[in-house]
Amino acid sequence: MKKNTEKSSSGPPKEKGSNPGIFSVLKSYSGRVTALVIMALAGSAVNLLIPKIIAHGIDAFSANRFDFKTVVIEFVAASVAIFVFTLLQNIFQTYTSERVAMDLRTKLSDKISRHSYSYVLKTNPSRLLTNLTSDVDSVKMFVSQAFVIIISSVFVLVGTSVLLITINWKLALAVITIVPVIGGAFYIVFKRVKVLFKKSRENVDVLNKIINESIMGSALIRVLNSQQPESTKFLETNVVSRDIGLSILRLFSTLIPIIMFVANVAVVIILSLGGHYVVAGNMSLGNFAAFNSYLMMLIFPIMMIGFMSNIIAQASASYQRITEVLIASEDNETGTINSKIKGDIQLKDISLSYGEKPVLKNISFKVAAGSKTAIIGPTAAGKSQLLYLLTNLMPPTSGSIEFDGIKADDYTREMFHSQIGFVFQDSVIFNMSLRENIAFSDKVTDESLAKAIETADLTGFIDSLPDKLDTIVSERGTSLSGGQKQRIMLARALAVNPKILLLDDFTSRVDRKTENKILCNLQNNYPGLTLISVTQKISPVKNFEQIILLMEGEVVAAGKHKELIESSTEYVQIYNSQRSTHHYEL
Amino acid sequence: MNYNLYQPPDLQEPKKTILESLRKLLTIIGGERRNLIISLSAIFVNAVLSLLGPYLVGYTIDTYIQTKQFHGVLVFSSILMGLYIIAFVVNYIQMRMMGGIGQRMLFRLRNSVFDKLQELPLDFFNQNKAGDLISRINNDTDKVNQFFSQSLMQFIGSIFTMAGAAVILLSLNLTLGLAALTPALIVWIFTRLVSPWVKSMNAESLRSTGGLSAEIQESLANFKIIIAFNRRDYFRKRFEKANDDNYNRSVKAGVANNVLMPVYSLAANIGQLIVLALGIYLITKGKFSIGLLVSFISYISNFYNPLRQLAALWASFQIAMAAWDRISRLLSLRSNLLKSDLNGCRESSSYLEFRKVSFTYPNGKEVLHRVNFNLEKGKTYAFVGPTGGGKTTIASLISRLYDATKGNVILDGQDIRTYESQERSRKIGFILQDPFLFTGTVRENLLYGFDDWKNLSDGELEKAIGDAGLETLLARFDQGLDTMVKTTGDGISLGQKQLIAFMRAVLRKPELLILDEATANIDTVTEQLLDTILKQLPESTTRVIIAHRLNTIENADEIFFVNTGKVVRAGSFRDAVDLLMHGKEEGLAQKTG
Repeated sequence: MKKNTEKSSSGPPKEKGSNPGIFSVLKSYSGRVTALVIMALAGSAVNLLIPKIIAHGIDAFSANRFDFKTVVIEFVAASVAIFVFTLLQNIFQTYTSERVAMDLRTKLSDKISRHSYSYVLKTNPSRLLTNLTSDVDSVKMFVSQAFVIIISSVFVLVGTSVLLITINWKLALAVITIVPVIGGAFYIVFKRVKVLFKKSRENVDVLNKIINESIMGSALIRVLNSQQPESTKFLETNVVSRDIGLSILRLFSTLIPIIMFVANVAVVIILSLGGHYVVAGNMSLGNFAAFNSYLMMLIFPIMMIGFMSNIIAQASASYQRITEVLIASEDNETGTINSKIKGDIQLKDISLSYGEKPVLKNISFKVAAGSKTAIIGPTAAGKSQLLYLLTNLMPPTSGSIEFDGIKADDYTREMFHSQIGFVFQDSVIFNMSLRENIAFSDKVTDESLAKAIETADLTGFIDSLPDKLDTIVSERGTSLSGGQKQRIMLARALAVNPKILLLDDFTSRVDRKTENKILCNLQNNYPGLTLISVTQKISPVKNFEQIILLMEGEVVAAGKHKELIESSTEYVQIYNSQRSTHHYEL
Repeated sequence: MNYNLYQPPDLQEPKKTILESLRKLLTIIGGERRNLIISLSAIFVNAVLSLLGPYLVGYTIDTYIQTKQFHGVLVFSSILMGLYIIAFVVNYIQMRMMGGIGQRMLFRLRNSVFDKLQELPLDFFNQNKAGDLISRINNDTDKVNQFFSQSLMQFIGSIFTMAGAAVILLSLNLTLGLAALTPALIVWIFTRLVSPWVKSMNAESLRSTGGLSAEIQESLANFKIIIAFNRRDYFRKRFEKANDDNYNRSVKAGVANNVLMPVYSLAANIGQLIVLALGIYLITKGKFSIGLLVSFISYISNFYNPLRQLAALWASFQIAMAAWDRISRLLSLRSNLLKSDLNGCRESSSYLEFRKVSFTYPNGKEVLHRVNFNLEKGKTYAFVGPTGGGKTTIASLISRLYDATKGNVILDGQDIRTYESQERSRKIGFILQDPFLFTGTVRENLLYGFDDWKNLSDGELEKAIGDAGLETLLARFDQGLDTMVKTTGDGISLGQKQLIAFMRAVLRKPELLILDEATANIDTVTEQLLDTILKQLPESTTRVIIAHRLNTIENADEIFFVNTGKVVRAGSFRDAVDLLMHGKEEGLAQKTG
């Protein structure tokens, strides 16, 4: 039950139709692939000659017409040829497979960067990480190993069989009967192993989830001293992994001895039947020896094809996962309007649902350019989602949002996003310098950077750092306090010189004195800014032109503070909850 | 302490030889000695049998085929058949045993890496990137595993077969044998020479893979910023850089891993040539027979085929050793927060005392400077002050997420470092600034790591939640205890996450409860409800509330101001307000000064 819900929620929307096989990955590399195949085949072909040369040598010697020089020359030439071909093949193989992997990753990241935020959320970032790492790796394995080995194995298989037949077709046929026997054993085992491999991969996903969460929740785990339960959780899943591994092993440890045994039976056949032919004078001793050598050559490719079919199965599954991401429809830029936004915003009958669950219901309101609007309401009322819609991070399920009478999608992205600054509720800090964190767009000038830093009241903090703006902050900003992170987020939003500023609970982590200072700075440094602020506290927004009270996804009341205090009981309740202390606030 | 895995270790460790690190790795095999002995004997028997085969074939050719005695051929064919049946059984035992050892070893390896992550302090997670850690646990252990579960058996088998073949070759004919083995010696020297290079190429490649993973992890986790600032190009550019680096490293590693194979093949062929040429020469001198030559050629393949396999295995061995270095680097880290065995009894009249506590971050920045304060049982304290002043650091020291750089934190008459972690975490509840939820149900999150209530039925659990006054909070989740929540994604709001974190801490009834801006994103109406719940906690509970706003701390018995690394006592709420209204912080400093 739980598993089902997890499954349906992860993974991108399935697109029917095209499901290209793993071999199509090689399409755009036909030059390299052809060269690779030629090298591999040439190497294998020459390899087939070696036992032939030995056999000739022995035969010639038995017949007393042994020419030492010819044999050595032939042999050395063949060996050097094999050396050159395999070396070239290996180098080609490495370059081609790494190239394929790099190109696949570039394609994926290109595609991901074009997708919308909601797509990435729905697809689940950790799955995309797997796509870009393990999935690409298993495709790489296919190119670097499986593909060439399969081709050369088939070649060797056919070539050896032909050689055996030319030497002595009766004995050859007797020996070649082992091919279907081995093939059948592979077929039976692989049918079962495939199921196990799939299970094993799914289980590794669970392991990864546990690792991920134990890293992200490391502080909580240490506070609760729950390292032991974490280990137990991991152990339980790891036990499943081990047991699947052992089941796979059980199948293989039956298969491989069987194959070896069958191959050995072939040796016995050669000895007894071949011995019979030699005794009867139907076969030369040299040919008899060559037969033995070719037999080993026959078995090896069969085993290889078997092992590689496993890699191919894994790569196919991975390639399919990658293709799903690559063919998903893009979040294409459709807008063409490139004019500045004044800041008049109008929401018309906006609704938003997550799956079945409605988050926002029929929301309509207007915001005048240069005005200040506050959105208040209880936890989980849909306030943040409303801001996400306003900044075009996700589209509403129905309804429309217009900026200066024009839909957000009709603006070019560049224009739209450069005029809207958004300060998220949770802090997002990149592991790079403070300067790069704040000037997150290349359009930011030194001047607007300085203004943003000053407005966000970060000047003092930055000056206190030894490397100033060039200080590198750690991933997730673990070296910064909550309030510092929040102000960096604000400076980042302001650095683009926006016409509209969206604040999501900005005041929650900043003390009152700083908040007042920042609000004052905003007014002075960014005149004419349209401000929409999601907040818990009424007193700082009392003088705003509009306060919107949102509850369970619906607008319950809207108006100025004075109007709401008269008309809305819910508003009064919230106000009273803050009244007892607000006049003490610092 | 330096937990940074990218920087070279603190101490100049003596260079480890392959054997040493291999021995360390083999300790993980642990209690498998019996299985190991059985499988090694199986491998040995198998190698002997597979060598005996060609010998018997050679013997049959010489003795019976050349002399045209078909009866003898049949007899020896039957013996050979019997031999192969035994080989079949031994082969099976060998695979089962050895594979089992490999699987169990991977299992233990993964467990020990994960347990190590649990053992290490928070500092470690602050100094390393999540993406790289994931890569170490997944990718690197997998590389070690690939060698152990797939290649090790072949490796040992190959070495046995080679050794056996070498002995037989030498005993059949010393001169010919020595000559045939010379190319192998050259190969061996060659391998010795290039191995360090191969390993370092692979180490570079694995490091780059870790970097790529870290890059992807960071960009994807912060994708909304990338979209909201229209910096899709940023994601592409940064990724491209990591991707290019990864390509270059991997190609180099790939070439390094592949040079051995052709060289080994060449050696094998030259070995065969030597045997053929020298063998024929010896026969002409009457020192060798043609039958022996046929079996000699078989033994030569028995020697050089495994050697060729060893080439591929050797590369996978070098990859595994490079991966093992990365893992063992992680495994060698030690927690700096162990329980101290010193006599921790300290005379302290209060429940919690900070005595001249200073704290400095690894980067050298001092956050707290000689801080002193006392907290009594059953009282409510508030720590207020501007952001970045050190409030969260104080809370982290109380719950021993870090240790003070100088001074003592004394909890209940005992130095905090002398507590068992279990006892300490029972006493102290800490609601973190950034709430964290595990993917799962609300129930799983509430009871997470809380063994006392693990076995309660739904009814009992609901009653317990009701007793704590939490039922109205729980009612805010659509499906109550069964509501599904996720670690990532915006399906649940920050305020809701804080509610769950609040319930999780309150349910445990700690002696000391710290709320670090724990309700910052919760609306004020709900906040009042939370206040009521806090008041219902047992009378002896000490509450520490960290806030930058005064309204949340109205009921505090005592207020401390925390700023620029100093903690100043400000008295009761009313005292604090009066002081602040008139004297501000300067006045406070004078008062205590």
